[in-house]
Amino acid sequence: MELTRRDFLKSSIAATTAATVGMEIGATAQAAAREVEKDWQWDKGVCRFCGVGCGIMIATKQGRIVATKGDPDAPVNRGLNCIKGYFNGKILYGKDRLTQPLMRMKDGKFDKKGEFQRVSWERAFDEMETQLRKTYNELGPTGVGIFGSGQYTIQEGYASAKLMKAGFRSNNIDPNARHCMASAVAGFIQTFGIDEPAGNYDDIEHTDAAVVWGANMAEMHPILWARVSDRRLSNDNVKVVNLSTFRNRCSDIADIEIIFKPNTDLAIQNYIAREIVKRDAVDHDFVKAHCVFATGPYDIGYGMRPTDKYAFDAEKDTQAKQLKVTLDEWEAVAQRRKPGEVVEQKNAKTAGKHWLITFEEFKRGVEPYTLDFVAELSKGDPDESLEDYKKKLQQLADIYIDPKRKVVSYWTMGFNQHQRGTWVNEQCYMNHLLLGKQCQPGNGAFSLTGQPSACGTAREVGTFSHRLPADMVVFNPKHRAFAEKTWNLPTGTVNPKVGSHITKIMRDLEDGKIKWAWVQVNNPFQATANANHWIRAARELDNFIIVSDAYPGISAKVADLILPTAMIFEKWGGYGNAERRSQFWREQVPPPGQAKADIWQALEFSKRFKLKDVWGEQDVPGLKADGFADGKLPDVSKGAKSMGYSGDETLYEVLFATPTNRKVAWPDPVSKGHDNHVADTLKDGWFPEKALFEEYAIFGRGHAHDLADFDVYYRDSVRGLKWPVIKDEKSGEWKETQWRFNAEYDSYVKEGDFQFYGPALKKLPSGDLDKITDKNKTSLAGKAKIFFRPYAAPVEQPDKEYDMWLATGRVLEHWHSGTMTRRVPELHRAVPAALLYMHPKDAKDRSLKRNDLAAIESRRGKILARVETQGRNGMPRGTIFVPWFDEGVFINKLTLDATCPISKQEDFKKCAVKVIKA
Amino acid sequence: MNYSGLLVVFPPERTEAGIAALNALDGVEVHHSDPATGRIVAVQECERIQDEVDGLKRIKKLPGIILAELVYHHFEEDPMHVTEIPADLEDPPGGVPGYLKERAS
Repeated sequence: MELTRRDFLKSSIAATTAATVGMEIGATAQAAAREVEKDWQWDKGVCRFCGVGCGIMIATKQGRIVATKGDPDAPVNRGLNCIKGYFNGKILYGKDRLTQPLMRMKDGKFDKKGEFQRVSWERAFDEMETQLRKTYNELGPTGVGIFGSGQYTIQEGYASAKLMKAGFRSNNIDPNARHCMASAVAGFIQTFGIDEPAGNYDDIEHTDAAVVWGANMAEMHPILWARVSDRRLSNDNVKVVNLSTFRNRCSDIADIEIIFKPNTDLAIQNYIAREIVKRDAVDHDFVKAHCVFATGPYDIGYGMRPTDKYAFDAEKDTQAKQLKVTLDEWEAVAQRRKPGEVVEQKNAKTAGKHWLITFEEFKRGVEPYTLDFVAELSKGDPDESLEDYKKKLQQLADIYIDPKRKVVSYWTMGFNQHQRGTWVNEQCYMNHLLLGKQCQPGNGAFSLTGQPSACGTAREVGTFSHRLPADMVVFNPKHRAFAEKTWNLPTGTVNPKVGSHITKIMRDLEDGKIKWAWVQVNNPFQATANANHWIRAARELDNFIIVSDAYPGISAKVADLILPTAMIFEKWGGYGNAERRSQFWREQVPPPGQAKADIWQALEFSKRFKLKDVWGEQDVPGLKADGFADGKLPDVSKGAKSMGYSGDETLYEVLFATPTNRKVAWPDPVSKGHDNHVADTLKDGWFPEKALFEEYAIFGRGHAHDLADFDVYYRDSVRGLKWPVIKDEKSGEWKETQWRFNAEYDSYVKEGDFQFYGPALKKLPSGDLDKITDKNKTSLAGKAKIFFRPYAAPVEQPDKEYDMWLATGRVLEHWHSGTMTRRVPELHRAVPAALLYMHPKDAKDRSLKRNDLAAIESRRGKILARVETQGRNGMPRGTIFVPWFDEGVFINKLTLDATCPISKQEDFKKCAVKVIKA
Repeated sequence: MNYSGLLVVFPPERTEAGIAALNALDGVEVHHSDPATGRIVAVQECERIQDEVDGLKRIKKLPGIILAELVYHHFEEDPMHVTEIPADLEDPPGGVPGYLKERAS
């Protein structure tokens, strides 16, 4: 009997698998599949993990998820799943799921030094409210903050950003996505005037070469890598190049592997640009019609604090470089100065400014980046010969330049987590634009993302300290006016001063500028570099930290209040992936215990505050903006009253359950019988996820960020749509945009074959490589910028004491800090602890061998890890890699909180450490 | 017992060899194949469920293979499913995962 059941099950699984990938099978097999699944309900969803955005199908039975499979109709993954995606159902069912609010208590009262005890939601919100009022009265809007997320659903991110920006009038909301793709954002805005990639994943099947820069796609984006592998292995002409600071699994199918020293990707890009110029391979027609040349200052610091007041003694030498840098021989050439010259970092606060230069100046900029110079500077494997390395650089340039070859460039954290992350993003566009290989099928520089809605939520909704939805920003008066009008709020409500970015929220906790912080959908105390500072600040200083999470991680451990949170398929939501595709799902199963969706938490908390609590004049230290008194947000009560508001209306009524939104009723036919615990618990008869999405969509329509109506995404035939999504008024059909800025595909292009219509930063002064020489601004509407950016040395490099490079990152089986994936026993057992990957000779030199326990120490901390000298990552001598998913190997205690000064994204890929036998 | 449905692709001319190589692996059975495209559907059965991950890695190492990815995951009978609130969360003053009682350091 058992055998029969087993065989039956297996043929059914085989049949479903075959059907999923579109293979023909016999009628008997089909019948077997139907029999096993007869009382299951299948619905479409999207993967919880990375930014690829694979479609999955979820089967439920009696309130439980019983199976998942790759969605055969999803264009992203065509039925496939990677190992993490495969466990989407299981992550809901870990044993230590948080199901009730927990607060630190002593003698029946909140006490920061107390132990966690179960409390009711009511009690939890009471304390959150008391603590917020205390801080708000003391420090104003600047004293409160939210650690947001690239894993928020679109609607959650919108609700939290609106609560902060329109409710508490604070811009201190910033996502963990700052750590993940802020440099990509800055690169897009500076180059194109609008965020997010022009192309899409179909570039893979159109291209002749994929160049991967600082991205382990094989492990981190396995489904896209399966498409790249398929393309490479089914076509001999197609080439794959893998550039990295150590060998990763992408090299398995790569034709060329280039191992370079940290930060020298800046020089390699300039070598390619120099070759393009020298070989006269510039697409002059394209460049003349669609591009301008630009550059900016290079004395911009490293995004560290300008004071050593909070630095540990050992880190003071690194921190001092925020103010003054002594140039080494390479950086001296790059800045046209002498080695040993001391350069004051005068433009640390104006790092993003830039100006137009001529093509002649651009050529002068790239001239020093000869093959000899760049090869000697950048060669990252001491055991490789310089001649072999030079040949590979030449082949790389050949691949880009070959006029018959279409090329895509992919990158993730190697570029983005980089002290010059914005520059190196811009340089990638530099080469694609010089060659005219951009925004066409198979041709383009494409920034991949790491989180499922880094694009859809963090970027498009704008849950950053400077952003509003649809690329609008708080410091632009027109954008504030648009937001206030859309939100039906009086003029002067929205704070024009950029808030604290995520690393600065941590620093603000340490220096007492923020005393109330809410962590949503992320684990910042594990994810932020130089963690010893922030953990001490959370536990030992006067502040109140709330962590909403599904599982306890380090952030929950350092919190004062923990709120149990519903996971992906326990709520309604939508994510936006890296190719601008917005995808939505329904609630599939109820959340366990008292866990509730993040959006419910924000809405319920907003009921506790009235307009009169926030509409008075507020102190905002450092605020300086046209129309505002210095350091003050105005009293807007008069304006509000004239709009018909009273001071006693709650933020819930004014921001969320507005008369318009209440008209969007729950239940709704789009639910097809699925529940909505948020609507059911609020009991107001409205459908928050739909109403707030429709309100949010107003921001993007007509601004090249158009989204379709909510219900469209739930059609059975739709598997997400790539914005801008435009409705054809005649046919009523919604049309997505495949390649932006290209007239053939993008209806926003009004004239010519290409138009870079992004509106931001399109009026510039002019100058030479070093400075502005003409302050008169020229309009460059419709054009993209080709930036010249010099090589810059990493702020901290190996020396006698700390003699090795440390890079961190992920591994295939775990995702981010592992709070979800480590609950799946098979994933946990596959990679139970983070290992210290190092070269066998480096290990031997330190009397270490495989599996020995070693101590790793930087200027900022010390941890222990087991040595691995084989396996997936091949380290060159002098470099170690330690993944960051494992809280038992807390690598971010060692990393340096230097950032790209433009994007404010931390650099997790390079700092100096030493390794000794433990 | 844990079952996974896999798509495996070999170059078309190597489909037969691929099927043989897969069937030779413990716990793997080929159910469907298409010699024209080299696509093969296999089911992997693992007693200890962590073997699923290792099993896939083992398949990916087969000579000449183009692609092997998971498609379908069946865990209806997986005993790790928690349908109720775990017992240690029901009991005050417990109510708090042991992990959260440790000091953060």
